[in-house]
Amino acid sequence: MARDPKHDILFEPIQIGPKTMKNRFYQIPHCNGFGSEKPFSQAFFRAVKAEGGYAAVSTEYCSISPESDDTHRMSARLWDDEDIKNLSLMCDMLHEHDALAACELWYGGPHAPCMESRCVARGPSQIPSDFEYMTYAIEADKDDIRYLQKLYVDAAKRARTAGFDIVYVYGSHSYLPQQFLTPFYNKRTDEYGGSFENRARFWRETIELVKEAVGDDTAIAVRMSTDMFIGEAGTQLERDCLPFVELVDDLVDVWDINLSGIAEWGEDATPSRFYEQGRALPWQGAVKAVSKKPVLGVGRWTNPDGMVEAIREGKLDIIATCRPSTSDPFLPKKIEEGRLDDIRECIGCNICISRWEIGGPPLICTQNATAGEEYRRGWHPEKFTTARNADNDVLVVGAGPAGMECAMVLGKRGMRRVHLVEAADDMGGTMRWIPQLPGLGEWARLVNYRKIQIDKLKNIEFIPSTTLSATDVSAYGAEIVVIATGSYWATDGLNGASHDVISGADASLAWQATPDQIMDEGKQLDGERILVFDNDGYFMGVSISEMLALEGKKVTLMTPMGHVAPYMHFTLEAPNMHRRLHSLGVEIVPYYLPSRFEPGTVVATHVYDEHGHERTWEADGVVLVSQRRSNEQLYRSLKDDVGLEALKADGVDALYRIGDCEAPRLTADAVFSGHRLAREIDSPDPSVPLPFRRERRVVDADTIASERAWHEAVVAGTAA
Amino acid sequence: MKTIVCVKQVRTLGDEVEFTDDGTDVRPDYVDLALNEWDSYATEEALLLREAHGGEVLVLTCGGKESEPALRRCLAMGADRAARVEGAEGNDAIRVAHALAGVVREEGADLVLCGVQSSDSVQAATGTALAELLGLPRVAVVTRLEVGQGTARVHRELEGGLADVVDVEMPAVLTIQTGINKPRYANLRAIKQAEQVEIAVSQAEDAPSASRVRRMFVPARGAGAEMLGTDPAEVAGRIAEIVRERTA
Amino acid sequence: MSVLVLAEHLRGEVRAVTHELVSAGRSLAPPVTVAVVARDPEPLVGAVRVEGVDEVVTVAAGTDEFENDTYQQALEALIAARRPRVVLLAFSVNAMGYAPAVAAKLGLGFASDVHGMALEGDSVIATRSFYGGKVDAEVAFPGVDTVLLLLRPTTWPPAEGASDAPVSSLHVDVAPSRARHVEFVDVAASTDVDITQADVLLSVGRGIGDADAILQFEGLAAKMGATLSVSRPIVDAGWMPASRQVGQSGKTVKPKVYLAFGISGAVQHLAGMKASGTIIAVNTDPDASIFNVAHYGAVVDLFDVAEELEKLY
Repeated sequence: MARDPKHDILFEPIQIGPKTMKNRFYQIPHCNGFGSEKPFSQAFFRAVKAEGGYAAVSTEYCSISPESDDTHRMSARLWDDEDIKNLSLMCDMLHEHDALAACELWYGGPHAPCMESRCVARGPSQIPSDFEYMTYAIEADKDDIRYLQKLYVDAAKRARTAGFDIVYVYGSHSYLPQQFLTPFYNKRTDEYGGSFENRARFWRETIELVKEAVGDDTAIAVRMSTDMFIGEAGTQLERDCLPFVELVDDLVDVWDINLSGIAEWGEDATPSRFYEQGRALPWQGAVKAVSKKPVLGVGRWTNPDGMVEAIREGKLDIIATCRPSTSDPFLPKKIEEGRLDDIRECIGCNICISRWEIGGPPLICTQNATAGEEYRRGWHPEKFTTARNADNDVLVVGAGPAGMECAMVLGKRGMRRVHLVEAADDMGGTMRWIPQLPGLGEWARLVNYRKIQIDKLKNIEFIPSTTLSATDVSAYGAEIVVIATGSYWATDGLNGASHDVISGADASLAWQATPDQIMDEGKQLDGERILVFDNDGYFMGVSISEMLALEGKKVTLMTPMGHVAPYMHFTLEAPNMHRRLHSLGVEIVPYYLPSRFEPGTVVATHVYDEHGHERTWEADGVVLVSQRRSNEQLYRSLKDDVGLEALKADGVDALYRIGDCEAPRLTADAVFSGHRLAREIDSPDPSVPLPFRRERRVVDADTIASERAWHEAVVAGTAA
Repeated sequence: MKTIVCVKQVRTLGDEVEFTDDGTDVRPDYVDLALNEWDSYATEEALLLREAHGGEVLVLTCGGKESEPALRRCLAMGADRAARVEGAEGNDAIRVAHALAGVVREEGADLVLCGVQSSDSVQAATGTALAELLGLPRVAVVTRLEVGQGTARVHRELEGGLADVVDVEMPAVLTIQTGINKPRYANLRAIKQAEQVEIAVSQAEDAPSASRVRRMFVPARGAGAEMLGTDPAEVAGRIAEIVRERTA
Repeated sequence: MSVLVLAEHLRGEVRAVTHELVSAGRSLAPPVTVAVVARDPEPLVGAVRVEGVDEVVTVAAGTDEFENDTYQQALEALIAARRPRVVLLAFSVNAMGYAPAVAAKLGLGFASDVHGMALEGDSVIATRSFYGGKVDAEVAFPGVDTVLLLLRPTTWPPAEGASDAPVSSLHVDVAPSRARHVEFVDVAASTDVDITQADVLLSVGRGIGDADAILQFEGLAAKMGATLSVSRPIVDAGWMPASRQVGQSGKTVKPKVYLAFGISGAVQHLAGMKASGTIIAVNTDPDASIFNVAHYGAVVDLFDVAEELEKLY
């Protein structure tokens, strides 16, 4: 298959300073949870994108000092020369694929809580962070400023030694250099504060110093937020950003342009719920209009035609991606080969980002189960080995996210025949109706991609509109059976707060419903006032509330938690979601747990009320979003009623279950569950995940001896 | 009740197309093969008849060994026997009908079901030609079938959403339209069992061919749309006209 | 050289496709004779006698409505009497019921779904598609006197006007039909929207701008007797459910008419609709890929066209 000539421009090389990018695809700095201390996971994660055609791949934010320690969130580190070794692995692996390596030098100032290093950050003024609480910085004096600038220079040199081709003086999302530029953070009255020129001084001087140190053979990148959307106090495009671009344009080799501050950086890493692809183009175009240097930027780019348009219209020179590069590291190659329907498009759910926000875990991806597993499980997104037991037939019952993924990977691994049987008339499971909730249309790409791939695989047959009983499954003729029957929303109010059902909760009644009843079965609730009881923690309660409010209902959203949908804070959807609910007049009631439902009334008590005072809400209808339950009847029937012995006699050698029917979980985890089983279908016991490679320090006799000797010397005061 | 279902293993082209040296057909290595969609409906209809009236279902195709998977798919669905007649494969529907007629005559049947058309040739001719060669009554494009005593009442699906109710004397040949039923799936056990069934093979008698593909080619793309102008009122008028014409 | 056309009629009306056969025959090898077969063919003669018709032959036989045995016998008699070089029928449900039988019985050259015809000296060459329309083929009929072709509807323009062609009748003894017409029934409209069953699809893409426009186009579709379908971006945006999506990951459709409004023609979308009978594309981008597969196109504002269409219905 050949590349569409329309997309040729995406494959034209481009010069950035002393370096050349072989095409216009750039993986923007983004977190993955690996940092410098999981060097193999880091390197393999980045390298697969270079293998997939990215011409340049960056680290996440890379701390230049223990004073910039973002623990619990994971950053890379270049604190000392030893750190060079770990990051150089990433550079080497990128260079193997002719990709440039970029390092985003970062100093967080008051945003970095330094919970591991116990150092204290320096910043322009002493006001606690708007992102962290209880974090104060030292108000920097001139010596501090020189010291900070030297941190950048030393780190840039280390980066060059490690093999990086591009180094950033990173300001976006309101980190140190941009804090100096922005009145919101900079209340100084010396020559580093006040006028534009003064506020720009720190950043300009730092860029000059870094360029002087490494600029002859390393490209200098500046990442800047054009507008923080907080009015005059924040960075503004015309007042601050464009003049800054003009001021330092000669020093910069490539501009990395984005939006927003740190507190609401969902305005930059836009969820598909609220924004379309290419949201930042107007700002990126404004910078491009005043700069003579190449401009790159993100926009949740998945559509190559949109990418071409952005370049042709003079808004971007380089297409940068973060999330789309994670959902499909081979995006550039697939466009190059004209294999557009093989592209696994980002759905904009921000599950990847949520892991960084939580702080600590590695990233995951709803669309791409191999993201983060490239090293530790050896999973390559495009390569699948033939299963050692490929000479078997597999029955997968249920074509939801887990079932589709499992069938697809089994198909790619060459299983003799795979039958994917689904009770509904099409694939998708709950991902058939979830994308119909307001704003979630792009989430259907999860189903679209797998549908196309499964259709291409000749060893997979999809059989819709068919419900199998345990006897049908036993007699089906498959040697391997995988149950993927998903989950349903509890109909009795069972919830994780009280660990009990709720009196009067019964979704079989006309005035009560669960999300699946409403969305999948079309159950309508009469009356105007609806109370949604939500103890889920993620989007279902708020999305149902939004939908009902859009239909004209008066909605009360009640939760025993302190915040509704707390997980959406991690996916950066919370601020806009709250704005949406507020504008729709949805009444949010936190800290209340219903004690009983009666027709027309919900009686609830405050969770911290020790005396059990009851309050009453009037409601014509109730939606129960209390928790999910596995659809485990089929599996239980096979295991308990039919029994593994009888199954074996019928030719079924193995019975597995995956996804929600095992235990309800995130869609990303359901997909992972199906993927893992298929990858490990030929392991000794596929029902138990194989151990993954852990990057840890394991002591041996020599290290114990030398470390203890060092420690003794420190305590005795005799250490060097 | 004995029903013979004539099926076809059809070809779907990928994105690359390569022609044979003489340029009259595509090279077989660039095609995917599958049971013709219409034929799964015809087979299902035969199986439903067997469930209602008892008897036997034989599936028959005109094809070489590469056509056996189509027959095995029908066997997996539940057909009793399968046979193929080779030597008359190709794009001449009437020649194929001659080959099939030989086997049907020998076997005898109460009903012969064919698909309305094959998805690769779209000639919609084999069934009706076969009926003529067998001297049997026929109805083409059947969307409903009820077998009675000596006659069948069928619905013939006309253009524009009208059904023509026809009484046809049996034995007869019917060409079956998609949507008449919901073809059953074949589970893996049935598929595996079907792999083991012996398929009867016979040779087609020589039959004349009155038409011949002399050249096959990829049509020139982008001959372009006929442009309707830039005046919205005119464009709308033309659109309305075209819609009316095409749905008359 | 001569062409014989068999008229198609239903419930007392001559079907428009008959006129297409006339113009096709005329452009190939006049004179064109049109035959009308019915219990009482006289009332149908007027509608059949358009420009390009050189002769009309009536065959009074059978019943008011089509029965395939009757038409077969009538056609065989007409061929014997008139010895046409080419017989042109529509590639229609009726023709499927008897034309291949006539061809098999008389050893005629035969091709169906023909969308091109040519004469090379004395030889007739028919062009038709194979393999889902991906390839075309030229079919020759060596050594046969009469060629029977079933023409793809809407390929040739319908002949219009009137002619003063002479009308004669042919007597044919027709045996009773073995497949007898009983009655017609209207196929019940289903309540579920299944875009694959629609004859006419009004399909909209991201060119329509926003969700409010959906309502407008739904209304227009209803007026036109069409079903509303959409391309992916509309489903992505959540404005319509996936059941309405045409395309590789949605549904494959083959309606008689596919109206593409504001659809650029991404490969995945084209895969789902390019086999449609007639494709009409309206898009403000003259380079939109949809124009490569469309039969008719207009580079004009789709809302303006929609407004005008509303007035016509």
